[in-house]
Amino acid sequence: MARLRKTYLLLLVAAAVALLVANSTWPHRLSAASVPTRQPLSGADRTVPAAVLGARLGSGTPCTGNFERHALPYTTTNGSAPIRMFNSNGSGLAVDDLDGDGDEDVVLANLAGPNAILWNEGGLTFRKQSLAHGDSRAVNIVDVDGDGKQDILFSRHTLSPTLWRNMGRGRFVEDVLPGVEGKVYATNWADMDADGDLDLVAGAYDAGLEKDLGYNFMFTRSGGGLYLYENQAGQFGYNKLSERAEALALALPDLDGDGQPEIMVGNDFDVPDQTWRRSDDSWSQITPFRKTTHSTMSFDLGDIDNDGVQEVFASDMKPYDQDVRTLAQWRPMMAQMPHQPFKGDRQVMENVLQVRGDDGTYHNEAYNRYVDATGWSWSAKFGDLDRDGFLDLYVVNGMIANDLFHYLPGGELVEQNQALRNDGQAHFKPALEWGLGSTASGRGMSTADMDNDGDLDIIVNNLSKSAELFENRLCGGSGLLVDLRQSASPNTRAIGARLTLHTGTGSYLRDVRVASGYLSGDPSRVHFGIPNGATVHSLEVRWPDGAVTTVENVPANHLLTVTR
Amino acid sequence: MIGRDRAWAGSFIREVRRDPLVQLLSPREQTRLLLIMSALGLLLWGALTWQVGMPVWGATTMVLGLLLVPGGLKWRADLRRHGVTIMILSVILTMQGFHSVEHLAQWVQYHILHWQPQRSSGLISAANAEWVHFIWNWGVVGIVVLLMLRGVRNRWAWLLLGWSVAHTMEHTYMLVRYLQLKQELGLLGVPQISAQGLPGILGRDGLLSTNPTLMRICGRVPGITTISRIDVHFWWNTGETLLLAAAAHRFLVSQATRE
Repeated sequence: MARLRKTYLLLLVAAAVALLVANSTWPHRLSAASVPTRQPLSGADRTVPAAVLGARLGSGTPCTGNFERHALPYTTTNGSAPIRMFNSNGSGLAVDDLDGDGDEDVVLANLAGPNAILWNEGGLTFRKQSLAHGDSRAVNIVDVDGDGKQDILFSRHTLSPTLWRNMGRGRFVEDVLPGVEGKVYATNWADMDADGDLDLVAGAYDAGLEKDLGYNFMFTRSGGGLYLYENQAGQFGYNKLSERAEALALALPDLDGDGQPEIMVGNDFDVPDQTWRRSDDSWSQITPFRKTTHSTMSFDLGDIDNDGVQEVFASDMKPYDQDVRTLAQWRPMMAQMPHQPFKGDRQVMENVLQVRGDDGTYHNEAYNRYVDATGWSWSAKFGDLDRDGFLDLYVVNGMIANDLFHYLPGGELVEQNQALRNDGQAHFKPALEWGLGSTASGRGMSTADMDNDGDLDIIVNNLSKSAELFENRLCGGSGLLVDLRQSASPNTRAIGARLTLHTGTGSYLRDVRVASGYLSGDPSRVHFGIPNGATVHSLEVRWPDGAVTTVENVPANHLLTVTR
Repeated sequence: MIGRDRAWAGSFIREVRRDPLVQLLSPREQTRLLLIMSALGLLLWGALTWQVGMPVWGATTMVLGLLLVPGGLKWRADLRRHGVTIMILSVILTMQGFHSVEHLAQWVQYHILHWQPQRSSGLISAANAEWVHFIWNWGVVGIVVLLMLRGVRNRWAWLLLGWSVAHTMEHTYMLVRYLQLKQELGLLGVPQISAQGLPGILGRDGLLSTNPTLMRICGRVPGITTISRIDVHFWWNTGETLLLAAAAHRFLVSQATRE
């Protein structure tokens, strides 16, 4: 009898332990949400020749082990005082070489003031050129017409996007995109229909439209939602994928490795993020992720563990510090806009890092890898900031909204931007010593080598404070910059191409994209950090149509221009 | 006194040869009154919450007050028949059972009804989860110490003591943080905002998870730095209840064997 009782108790304890294990997030259950790998496009793995030009990079200023802040001659202003939703969302920026002089230029969007180009005149000095009207959100720099010159696209608050067509020699002419009438917020570009040219994917911010244009507007043809505008010889065909969107972020990753991009929409508020895949000339929704961010602000992709597969990072709002003073600043706001989970809700109110397992399923690793909480996060991007061969993460944050934070001075939640260093095991640690903890309320942000010294600098478009450039003066490693050109394609900058740099310490994967983060355009010039002592073997370029070019004898500290 | 209690425990065991825990918790002659009070309580609970709009915690407290009548009579009978130690065991097991219902309610609110963590505060804790659980858990520690002083000393009882002290430390940490946050909210001019629901030492966003080294070490134990506060305390409480039951069972059996 006593033995029976003992057995009974043991069984109870074992059941409790089993339930605990089943209820925990470890080990990760990978049963849901798989993205089956599909066959690549026909023509893939075809080897194509390309011309390669190399230019040696400068040595830059002596290293100091941190970033040096430079205020840029530009401030995003907003028309209302005090700042309220949704002016508090600020604006983006984009970086690329607009005049072909080899230096990366900056284009910044504004709300109340005019947008501007900051022409890079070398030595981190900039000449400002204003572009008429602000009222702008996202910025994309992209060769829309395939003439080899980079054009500029601004999404507008309550109007259709504005195109500034690059006429050469630094001259831009205002234009529209024929057929694009949607009042969209987040925008991105890729060859979505595999016809060789670039198509526009655009998502509206319905809450903002409804506030400014009224409820009835939402039922019109251009009233909110998610759009795919397919480029048909310069005319853009209208395809509304979703009637509803609160799109703050758009990413166009190739999740299933078939060479065709999917569409990821990062929605604010309770509207779940969506992922769309093209199949037989039509688009359908898929659910590749078990968890997604609740108020998605930003997407970025990067191979943080150098295994040849890109991880997906999405930013959300969660205090980066658990001390009571920080939590007290968040509590009243959170009481106003709580997350109301519903049955089957996949959303969590924190950053997520989608890591793909061997079986093709994604699981959220943000918490375990210390990137789940970066404050009220806006643009977040990967980049090998310290050139150790591993992608680090930079996140800009802060919020100014008098209707949300009326109890804080100036209605502002002051936060420090978060620089997170990859420790080489794909875990992240705060890199306070880098001096990137600006408290200027950043919104748009991008990384690029602004002084052509082989490392990534950072440019931030703050709200109501000067834009900032953080000059990279970290020590160690070397860099490689790569420009891709397709002379016989309308996709002249090879948007969608994948580059793999094979070195003695690992293979580093990058891709060419128009935009990532929050409302922010990326340079088409790709950066690789190369650790000290690493030998560079080759550079493999997988062009958007799947053809491959391999460049041997790649020198470090060079800007390579690979032209197909 | 303790010797007399042991004798009573022995008489209890002689009286009930099978499954002493079930027999200890049986309302016996108070069964009819308990059923009547339960039915009345449920009706009252429904009327107060749905018709009068009384908060759930208030109505639940009233129902528990009703159930105290048969409970009190049963415990008085336990005291007369079996002595203080058995009576305390009877009381603590019953109360801990009700406390488990509270945690189960939180679990259901969070996992089944998908309420927000802050709202998933059970039936009584909605009044103030931090104070309710802080007071209750210190009470449990005190009673466990008292029981041990009165002879309930077996390995399960020692484990129970360690478990309940650790559990109470976590609640103490949470109460301190709660009071600090309440003060900060007052300084910001928003004292009406709830400061409840902060993570404790264990679980997601708990103290252990804020340190990368500790996170790496403790993260090897399933759930220790990942499960939600509601789950953390559900399991704390489940463990406590199981250990209490095991300690009581062992004590009752050992008394019978001695007799």
